[in-house]
Amino acid sequence: MIEPGRRMPQPVLILCAFLTAVLLVACGEGEKPVKVSLDKRREIAAKPPQPAITYAYLPQYSHTESFQRHQQLVEYLAEETGLSIRQVFPDTFAHHISMFGQGKIDISFSNPFVYVNLANRYGARAMARIVEEDGRAEFRGQIIARRDNEAIRSVEDCRGKSWVAVDPSSAGGYLFPLGLFVDHGLTLRDFQEVVFSGGRQENVILGVYAGLHDFGTIREGSLKVVEDKIDIGQIKVVATSRPYPGWVYAYSPRLSQEAADKIRAAMLKLDYAHDPRHRAILEAARFIGFVPSDDRDFDPIRELNRKVGLEGE
Amino acid sequence: MSKHLLKGLHSLQFRTKITLGMALMLIFSGLSIGLLLSAMSSRALLDEGKKRGMALSAGLAFRLAEPLLAMDFLQMKNLIDNTHHQYGDVLYIFLTDTSGNVLSHTFSGGGFPHDLLRVNRDSRRPQPLLLETERGAVYDFNVGIILGEKNLGSVRLGLSRSKMDAQIRQQRLISLVGTLGVVSLGIVLALWFARTVTLRLNRLRESAEEIVKGNLNVQVGVPLEKNCWDIMECAKLDCPAHGDTRRRCWYLAGTLCPHCRGKEYPLKIESCRHCPVFRYNFGDEIQDLAEAFDVMAVTIKNHIEELTEREKTIARQQELLKTIMNVTPDFITLQDKELTYRFASKAFCDYFNLNEDEVIGKTDFDIFSERQADLNFHEDKQILLTGHSLAKEITFKRPDGQRWFHIVKVPVADQDGGIMGLLLTARDISMLKKIQEQLIQSQKMEDLGRLAGGVAHEINTPLGIILGYTQLLMDDITDQELLENLQVVEKQAKICRKIVADLLGFSRHSQSVREAVDLNGSLREVVQLVEHAFSLKGITIIQHLDETVPPLDGNKERLKQVWLNLLNNGADAIGQDGVIVVRSRRGTGGQIEVSVADTGQGVTQGNLNKIFDPFFTTKQVGKGTGLGLSVSFGIIKEHGGTISAQSPAPVEYLAGAVPPFGLSGPGTVFLVELPPREVVY
Repeated sequence: MIEPGRRMPQPVLILCAFLTAVLLVACGEGEKPVKVSLDKRREIAAKPPQPAITYAYLPQYSHTESFQRHQQLVEYLAEETGLSIRQVFPDTFAHHISMFGQGKIDISFSNPFVYVNLANRYGARAMARIVEEDGRAEFRGQIIARRDNEAIRSVEDCRGKSWVAVDPSSAGGYLFPLGLFVDHGLTLRDFQEVVFSGGRQENVILGVYAGLHDFGTIREGSLKVVEDKIDIGQIKVVATSRPYPGWVYAYSPRLSQEAADKIRAAMLKLDYAHDPRHRAILEAARFIGFVPSDDRDFDPIRELNRKVGLEGE
Repeated sequence: MSKHLLKGLHSLQFRTKITLGMALMLIFSGLSIGLLLSAMSSRALLDEGKKRGMALSAGLAFRLAEPLLAMDFLQMKNLIDNTHHQYGDVLYIFLTDTSGNVLSHTFSGGGFPHDLLRVNRDSRRPQPLLLETERGAVYDFNVGIILGEKNLGSVRLGLSRSKMDAQIRQQRLISLVGTLGVVSLGIVLALWFARTVTLRLNRLRESAEEIVKGNLNVQVGVPLEKNCWDIMECAKLDCPAHGDTRRRCWYLAGTLCPHCRGKEYPLKIESCRHCPVFRYNFGDEIQDLAEAFDVMAVTIKNHIEELTEREKTIARQQELLKTIMNVTPDFITLQDKELTYRFASKAFCDYFNLNEDEVIGKTDFDIFSERQADLNFHEDKQILLTGHSLAKEITFKRPDGQRWFHIVKVPVADQDGGIMGLLLTARDISMLKKIQEQLIQSQKMEDLGRLAGGVAHEINTPLGIILGYTQLLMDDITDQELLENLQVVEKQAKICRKIVADLLGFSRHSQSVREAVDLNGSLREVVQLVEHAFSLKGITIIQHLDETVPPLDGNKERLKQVWLNLLNNGADAIGQDGVIVVRSRRGTGGQIEVSVADTGQGVTQGNLNKIFDPFFTTKQVGKGTGLGLSVSFGIIKEHGGTISAQSPAPVEYLAGAVPPFGLSGPGTVFLVELPPREVVY
């Protein structure tokens, strides 16, 4: 007991303080739980989404990639036109086509083959073409192989080899190179095998990189997408196809002409060079602008289709 | 209470204190560290659990982005079910869109616990949130599904804390058991350590107790494995350290090692530190203390022996001094500046009939009368002030007679030259004074005799003429009346001639005829002469004559005159009826002693030294001339002897004088000592 008026000895004081500190540190978890019942339940139902113009990007990449590329553009279009626009995500090219046919897609952003297909089948109408980052509104297909694969140096060397392509509907990743092969006298039977990677450009590159296939065909510019994943120096471009009209925005015949015009006008309004906001939107979408387009621009594609035996699809 | 506790602690054994202190320290440190570590690891475990929950949720959120965009409910369900089933502590998972709609969840059995939608709605808040549910504490994680800057919805995951708590409990148990184990081990070590330390301290204590009891032959230090002479391999037997197993050489003076250089402890210790002996034998502080203790014991023992020897010497000297002081008949006292007695000799104490204790520490005012003390005080103060010593003689009367003292008072100086006290010495000089008086008396007698002789010689001639002419006239005168007158003149003239003859006899110093005298014979002749006349007065003369008394050289007639004078004096002192004892014998130094003792009235002490003076008499006027004893004194002196008187006469001189003759008075004895005849070979 400490007598009144008598100071506590310093060591005792330090000891007490230390003990208190230790106890505080030892016991102080300091979390206050919130009371919640897991047994009180009730049925819930999700509210249905508001009706909107649906916008779909041909599932060339993963949904998240597609989302990240086009979300800003979708928001811009909605804001600019005053229309409610929502991006939807088909799983495959076929799914995209079928959804368009079902009316689940109002605005389709697709490669020219799919467009030709949609136009032929469901009356899709081209409204604008994109200008690629290299400043062109066309694009090409590429034949790639591992750099150390000495057996493949030219288009002809691909004969009897294993081919991995993006998708039977892929323009740059299948049809353009196929046209090139046909021009060089090679038909589908001249390859050891033709394998599709499920619509993903990345998978084609990774398949070739991994050595699973002798060569692959991709859209020009796809190598950049995977440069942070693999050493793209290990990949060589064997050959490149002739340029074809690039990706195209088409609208469903169900969409009103007025809405389609508004959207086209908004697209054409985007100014990559002078407006920083527009530039950001376009950079996310990986192109630099739009050019007006109509169905006639896609006749070379129809020609290619015939060449490779896809006519009539 | 704290006082009792402190007292209790204070009275504990040192060993217990060390053990208790270390144990407390260990328990305190162990508990502190244990608690701290336990808390830290608990926190780490919790954090780990939270991170795991966060990782699960984030992973799930990442994987759910695709099906969420595609609105692929099956895949959403599959993904969350997969995770739910994979981890047992994941209680629930559900997925909401940006509007808060639950798109998929893992709750089975119908319905959704809508409480969950109420809490932790914002994924940007710190996660997780602790929930208290019917199934225990649950960490609820809310992780947003974000693509770029766009939020698509969020994943909510409930992770049960019970598994984490179980892990924490297990870890705490391990911590506790570990801490207890370490503390126990520490206490055992503390016990061992305390025992090791206190064992040596106890030896020190026991040795100290032995020293207190007086036993200085103790050894606390442990015997050495190797002594200095073994290490140095020296054979210097005359070195003080050689053979001394009790003391370490660095404590000893005069060791003969080359680097000791004859220095003493502690001057040599600096060089000793580099010595191989020191390095080999020097222990810890307790060993050092024990060895220093041994050295101290030996040193104390030596000092005590020296002191005892000195004490004995001092005691001897003190005893000697005391004996001298006590035996000396002089008074010696020492007083300090306040005149308080610091020392008083035995003679002083005895004289004043005091004990030493009654003097030491007292002043004159406590011992003497106030008047005397006051006198002494002023005198002593004067000496102390002036520093001059004082010498004086004092006299005072005591029942046993007049006493004389010669007093010297000397101031005593201390080492600084200041006066620190007063030394008094006093010597009894009464005897010296008495002898001085006797000397003066003798001188007086001699002068008187010379005067009397001169007078007698001058009177003798006219007196002879007066007597001659008187006798001639008597022959011629026939007138009877005239003749009778002339006869009176003749008679008185004859008396005068006798007086003159006596005076001449008293003062004569010329050698008369000397011959061998038979002492006893001369005594018998005189006794025979007076015996008859004395018997008429009832006086008996008893003779004890030693026949072996040798003859002496002298004048027989004059000696007979002495004996006659002494007998007549005795008879006059007796008056009627008494005894006179005459005795002769050989004295111890070859002297011949004659004593004539009577049973008369005696002589007073005051008159005793005057009886040999001429004309001194106690008889009635006309009874005696007062010259008898003076003449006898002169005759004995002429014979080279001495005469003295004692009164009352000691009984031994009155042997045979038995009653009825009686001892009518104290009596007087006259003692005559005469030298025997010198035999010439």
